[in-house]
Amino acid sequence: MIYFDHSATTPIHPHVLSLMQSVQTDMYGNPSSIHYSGQKSRSIIENARNQIAKSINAKSEQIIFTSGGTESNNQVLWSMLYNDKKHIVSNVIEHPAIIKVLQSLKVLGINYSLVDVNSEGIISINKMINAANDTTGLISIMLANNEVGTIQEVKKVVELAKKKDILTHSDAVQCFGKMKIDVTTLEIDFLSLSAHKFYGPKGVGILYAKKPELLHPLIIGGNQENGLRGGTENLASIAGMGLAAELATSSLNGHIKHLKQLENQFKSGLKKISQKMIFNGNQSHKLPGLISISFPGQNSNTLLTKLDRNNIYVSSGSACGSGDIKPSPVLSAMGHDHTTNLSTLRFSFGITNTAKEIDFLLSELNIILSNK
Amino acid sequence: MKRIAVGMSGGVDSAVAAALLIDKGYEVEGFFMKNWSGDPDFCSAEQDYKDALQVCDILKIPLRSINFEKQYWDRVFNHFLDEYKKGRTPNPDILCNTEIKFNEFLDYTLELGADKIATGHYVRNQFGNGKIELLKGRDTLKDQSYFLYGLNQKQISTALFPIGNLKKTDVRIIAKKLGFNNYGKKDSVGICFIGERNLKNFLKKYIPKKRGIIINTEGKKLGEHDGVMYYTIGQRKGLGIGGINGDMIGAWYVMGKDISNNELIVCQGHDHPGLYHKNLKASNIHWISGLIPTKRNLKAKIRYRSVDNPCKIYDLDKNNISVIFEKPCFAIAPGQSIVFYEKDICLGGAVIDSYSN
Repeated sequence: MIYFDHSATTPIHPHVLSLMQSVQTDMYGNPSSIHYSGQKSRSIIENARNQIAKSINAKSEQIIFTSGGTESNNQVLWSMLYNDKKHIVSNVIEHPAIIKVLQSLKVLGINYSLVDVNSEGIISINKMINAANDTTGLISIMLANNEVGTIQEVKKVVELAKKKDILTHSDAVQCFGKMKIDVTTLEIDFLSLSAHKFYGPKGVGILYAKKPELLHPLIIGGNQENGLRGGTENLASIAGMGLAAELATSSLNGHIKHLKQLENQFKSGLKKISQKMIFNGNQSHKLPGLISISFPGQNSNTLLTKLDRNNIYVSSGSACGSGDIKPSPVLSAMGHDHTTNLSTLRFSFGITNTAKEIDFLLSELNIILSNK
Repeated sequence: MKRIAVGMSGGVDSAVAAALLIDKGYEVEGFFMKNWSGDPDFCSAEQDYKDALQVCDILKIPLRSINFEKQYWDRVFNHFLDEYKKGRTPNPDILCNTEIKFNEFLDYTLELGADKIATGHYVRNQFGNGKIELLKGRDTLKDQSYFLYGLNQKQISTALFPIGNLKKTDVRIIAKKLGFNNYGKKDSVGICFIGERNLKNFLKKYIPKKRGIIINTEGKKLGEHDGVMYYTIGQRKGLGIGGINGDMIGAWYVMGKDISNNELIVCQGHDHPGLYHKNLKASNIHWISGLIPTKRNLKAKIRYRSVDNPCKIYDLDKNNISVIFEKPCFAIAPGQSIVFYEKDICLGGAVIDSYSN
């Protein structure tokens, strides 16, 4: 099988897997227990916390372990219920783990504004800032979009927000391992990450908080994570995530180079295929190895199935399991009409992909697209 | 090896159909069609999808999703509403087969490179007289040929009906043996997008009320109705009248609709002669073979699950047909289809327009 859907999730790194297996087998002490077995487990968690803090240039006490990006986003947004200023500014191309949360929080007294996006998938900083008012407590803007990969100018948003005394949050789930993330330079207040996007396990994630005391627990229980996330820790997964973060950081430059090479090879190969293509999103300001292409006149579901038959796995704009094929709201916001929207495929490359695999993808695409 | 696209509903019939094809050495792919999303409170698509997925997991075949909601709405549901607005009783499941399953789905999967499609219908197909014939399922209690009478030669010859030779009880046994979760799943009843819900309440969401009176055969007012289109000829329940004349004669039935005066005509007792008619006229004729049958003495169903009524067709032209039955038929409902048979062979049918004695 050839896997080109790394933005959906990544395979687990073999070193991460073997660490998790050994933790799962040997480290069964409860990290909250006082005895030595518990202490060893606790050390594993704190070691992972240090690894992650280091990888994003944070302090370890600023790292909270969660069940993933969705929970991290939720915790930040729900915490705003306790804030004096209850208006939140975000934008229309955020993940549902932001937009749907805001919709739910509305009945609880949170107001929000969503600014639109230009045809290149870039969110206007001025619009974000101008949407803020005296009651705005938080601005949430993704570091890079999950469907088209455009990198947003988060640093500038943070600078302007600080002047207005507004907190900032960024969903950076797509970015870790594909671009450098330095929370100190970024000066962001909150940032969400998810392990399974960087060759770690599923079901575990990170919430970075510059000042954790501004947060409230979403999962209430024991005193784990300084009272910010109750429940016995997901030990093996946290250990695996720590190592995955360390590996992704140490190999970051090489990985980016690898992804760019594959992307260049893919794009130059596509030029030889006679089919109209629209490369979605600003191509010079995006994550490496994530390429969203609309194929006017084609149907993404058909293309995806034909590639699937050849064991090539890619993603279409937006689809859910039980036949609900709906146009992607991100592409709609960028101005795509319904049919162009439903002709879109997302290719996202990863660590194990090779030049040979890209060649195979190109030749299969050539056959499939010219068949029509 | 032939590549077969199986329409998988999440039900036991299509699941076993897929299993039997794999057994015969076909390369099988499952397709889950989503044609309706109307009301979130009702639609069980998610559970159906999970059931289909569990089956495909056991069979180790891919399950793909396709969405024909728009086509279904435009070509099946709109027609369904139009018919009800006219006071008729349409059968959308017939149209779903000709317009969606054996049209949109067929074209889509052929385009994907399938050689044939397969469904879990209780029907059979075979070559005879130089044509492909549609036959009743062996399980006569489950036979679904009534719903497929609108198919043409190309559609039937591009389809496989793997369970057409089986009894439902055997289908369930096979499903259980294979470990399918849906082996005991209840048979779907009624119109697929309404299910077991109250038809009238469903229709009220789409067709506005139009109050009128309920009268008996002598023209005496017995009560009020909120729209003749909500009722079906032969309907017994939900009339909101009763207890008149004592209960000696029996329950009230819808006998007819006076559309122009917005009156619902009722009669008492299942045996009331006003409910039985020997003649009907129908239009929108379709013959599966493409040819008008040479025999004039045939048998016909006037609704799904009706018995095969001996009848004779006459006044036959391209668009219209008249039928006379040997014995009067109970509750002939305009909008439903009359489907003709010669023994087990389904010949075709037409949509009923009117009835008389």
